[in-house]
Amino acid sequence: EKWDMPMAYAATNFHSEVGAAFASCVTEGTGGDLEIVTHPSGSLFGGAEIKRAVMTGQANIGERLLSAHQNENALYGVDSIPFLVSSFDDHEALWEIASPYVASALEEDNLHYLYSVPWPPQGLYTNMAIEDIEDLKGVKFRSYSTATARMAELTGMLPVQVEAAELSQALATGVAESFISSGATGYDRGVWEHLSHFYEVDAWLPRNAVFVNLDAWNDLPDESKAVMEDCATTAAADGLAKSKDYTSFTLEELKKNGMTVERASEHLMGQLQELGATMTDDWLEAAGEDGQAIVNAYKGE
Amino acid sequence: MEQMIPIAIFLFVLFLLLGSGVWVGLALMGVAYVGMELFTSRPAGDAMITKVWASSSSWTLTALPLFIWMGEILYRTRLSEDMFRGLSPWMARLPGGLVHTNIVGCTVFAAVSGSSAATLTTVGKMSIPELRKRNYPETMVIGTLAGAATLGLMIPPSLTLIVYGVTINESVTKLFMAGVFPGLVLALMFMGYVAVMSFVSKGFNPDPEPKMSVMEKLKNSRFLIPVICLILVVIGSMYMGIATATEAAAFGVIGSLILAATQGSLSWSSFSESLMGAVRTSAMIALILAGASFLSLSMGFTGIPRGLADLIASWELSRFELLMALLVFYIILGMFLDGISSVVLTMAVVEPMIRAQGIDIIWFGIFIVVVVEMAQITPPIGFNLFVLQGMTGHEMNFIAKAAIPMFLIMVVMVFVLIAFPELATWLPDNIRKGPAG
Amino acid sequence: MAAAKALRRILDTLYFIGGVIASLFLIAILSIIVLQMLARWTGQVFPGATSYAGYCMAAASFFAFAYALNHGAHIRVSLFLTALGRFRWWGELWCFGIGTAISTWFAWYAIRGNQISHRWNELSQGLDATPIWIPQLSMSIGTVLLAIAFWDHLVRLIFTGSHGITTDLVDQSQGE
Ligand code: NA
Ligand code: NA
Repeated sequence: EKWDMPMAYAATNFHSEVGAAFASCVTEGTGGDLEIVTHPSGSLFGGAEIKRAVMTGQANIGERLLSAHQNENALYGVDSIPFLVSSFDDHEALWEIASPYVASALEEDNLHYLYSVPWPPQGLYTNMAIEDIEDLKGVKFRSYSTATARMAELTGMLPVQVEAAELSQALATGVAESFISSGATGYDRGVWEHLSHFYEVDAWLPRNAVFVNLDAWNDLPDESKAVMEDCATTAAADGLAKSKDYTSFTLEELKKNGMTVERASEHLMGQLQELGATMTDDWLEAAGEDGQAIVNAYKGE
Repeated sequence: MEQMIPIAIFLFVLFLLLGSGVWVGLALMGVAYVGMELFTSRPAGDAMITKVWASSSSWTLTALPLFIWMGEILYRTRLSEDMFRGLSPWMARLPGGLVHTNIVGCTVFAAVSGSSAATLTTVGKMSIPELRKRNYPETMVIGTLAGAATLGLMIPPSLTLIVYGVTINESVTKLFMAGVFPGLVLALMFMGYVAVMSFVSKGFNPDPEPKMSVMEKLKNSRFLIPVICLILVVIGSMYMGIATATEAAAFGVIGSLILAATQGSLSWSSFSESLMGAVRTSAMIALILAGASFLSLSMGFTGIPRGLADLIASWELSRFELLMALLVFYIILGMFLDGISSVVLTMAVVEPMIRAQGIDIIWFGIFIVVVVEMAQITPPIGFNLFVLQGMTGHEMNFIAKAAIPMFLIMVVMVFVLIAFPELATWLPDNIRKGPAG
Repeated sequence: MAAAKALRRILDTLYFIGGVIASLFLIAILSIIVLQMLARWTGQVFPGATSYAGYCMAAASFFAFAYALNHGAHIRVSLFLTALGRFRWWGELWCFGIGTAISTWFAWYAIRGNQISHRWNELSQGLDATPIWIPQLSMSIGTVLLAIAFWDHLVRLIFTGSHGITTDLVDQSQGE
């Protein structure tokens, strides 16, 4: 049997590389009984369609940035609550608590959760030095999600809606002057051509999740399931390691290209965490009891 | 390749449906359906709708109907007449005469729009009637338009370069800068061809323009002011950061409406006609895009493009041989797929080959764009051919034949790029090292 | 006969209304983009503007499919049909047969896809969080209109010998 696996990001992106390794692990592990073929760059289904495609069996397996679907279920956005976690380790601890909840949410959407890999921590790109949260007032800030729009609102930044495809041009022409993303995005897009500062604020670490159509999963023989789960465990570990390596690599590259890369001052970080507390409350309101249980368990640790 | 028979069936159905006269968009859907049934057990209809909805409701696409509408409005004003009145005294003496307006017009409009179809409809709608009035040979008018409109993809902004940049993780800004000189050189090559043909071809006998003194010429140039203003507003809005590339199209529509109003050619009937005309043209293009998006999905499932790229990778060619193989590969692929699809379907395999050979990836982006431009004018599936057919009512083979010289010029352009890689790499390299960097 | 005439008028009006609705959505695209720019310049927010423009884009296309067909705006390669000469009717029958089949299939799955979005409660991933099945109604309605138009022309072709598509090439003189 051959399964096509749509993926949204370029073949050279570490997520796609981990996915490709996972695919060949499964293909080899099942002795070719189940062959997984990856399709990176959104060449089969684009990022926005992958969840629907797998849910309804148009593809049997796929990878998607889970938090993009938080409009449908707030639990999908548990990895993107601003300033709740502040390092890879914190984030993994949160994910360990949250993943069973997310997995059961996915199951309601006819999906079986396999593994997920975090993106590098999201930092703040600006075109000037930021000492205090007041400095952000009036800055044109790219908002593309509910969370980023809310952040703009709370900080007094001017939200401008810029789609990913237009990001480079928006920065070049000054339509946007600031945005939140990982060091990886800035490196991929050569952001140093337009912006000067990258603040490591570790706002959140969104995850790419790999899931299987539930019906297709249930039809698999137990041996194949076991092989898949094994390969998934390996992929998750490899992915985390790669994500960490990639973080330091991309930040070095940003520096080499003349950007100021530094951790936000304690003063600024404190202000941002206050803001984070407000936004965590927002999220809890949307995520209900399960959300509360996750955050309580995380904070209790 | 072990998939010879399915590929043969696939091609047979494609030529059968397109050739027998089934509407292009629906024919593409039919072919894609057959591909899905042959190569995968996934539900074809459901997958089609997922893909069709995503491609039809995309934000970046909204610029297309707006630019088409802009063309329809301008077509109903005196603008094109005025533009030709202002240009003809200067250009009529050039070998090739006013045919150059097609090329210059497309080059200028390419700096406004990121798509070839928008460039084609806006410029063609204005220039075709004027050139016909003056008895320029039809093949020349149609051919240069088909070819020069593809500059919309090379001269920034460019949708193809954005997709390429995102696919290979390179700076879109650098790619945009890389496209500027090759775009201009290609435009000059088109113009050179027109000049040569004006001497060589017996059919090239346009009506002579009246003789004028320099003063009269200058006086006539005042007719160019409105066009120049419109272009400045649209391009300016983009480069001054007032509008994104998509929003610039809205400036174009409003600017044209204002222009029409000041000329007194804006009435309820001209407004509604322009609107309904734009709706018909964009519906025609949208149906083809819907079919093409499903075909691209189906091709993804078949694995044919990637299989072919894998095959080339296995030959272990030298750098020049590799480029030649890729040239032929993308020309063949471009006969059946639109450019963006052929880029995303193959880059996963092609990118490592390119990097392994030490070929500059930015330069290769321009190489790809030239080849993708060719795809716009090669039958059986060539987007500019379709749009021109809708616009002029000519048969596909007439348009395709008229575009052959342009195709050959683009092939020559590939060799120019190989001989002078600095054309593409100089600008991005030097601006990067500048004081601002 | 009168009934047939009335039906004819109703159907043509139907396609035309589709075109008019599409044109309103084209104006809506323009308005949304302008409003979004105005909002940005004045420091306001228009959440979800890009998504709404996208939905209008889809509606402007789908609603006009049948109208465009009725006006001969959808293009095809008619070389072979012309070559058929007095056997052209058979060629047209083949084309309209295939066209009717594919457009009906398209409409069927558009409705099904619309139902899937509704059943799984798919929400837009943008700031607007719109339930996707609502804007997708334009796809269902538009493709059904197109299918009706194809059946209409096919039936006419079979019973009257002519499909009744009028290509108005007013502004498309061949330069003779
Ligand atoms: Na362009
Ligand atoms: Na082609």
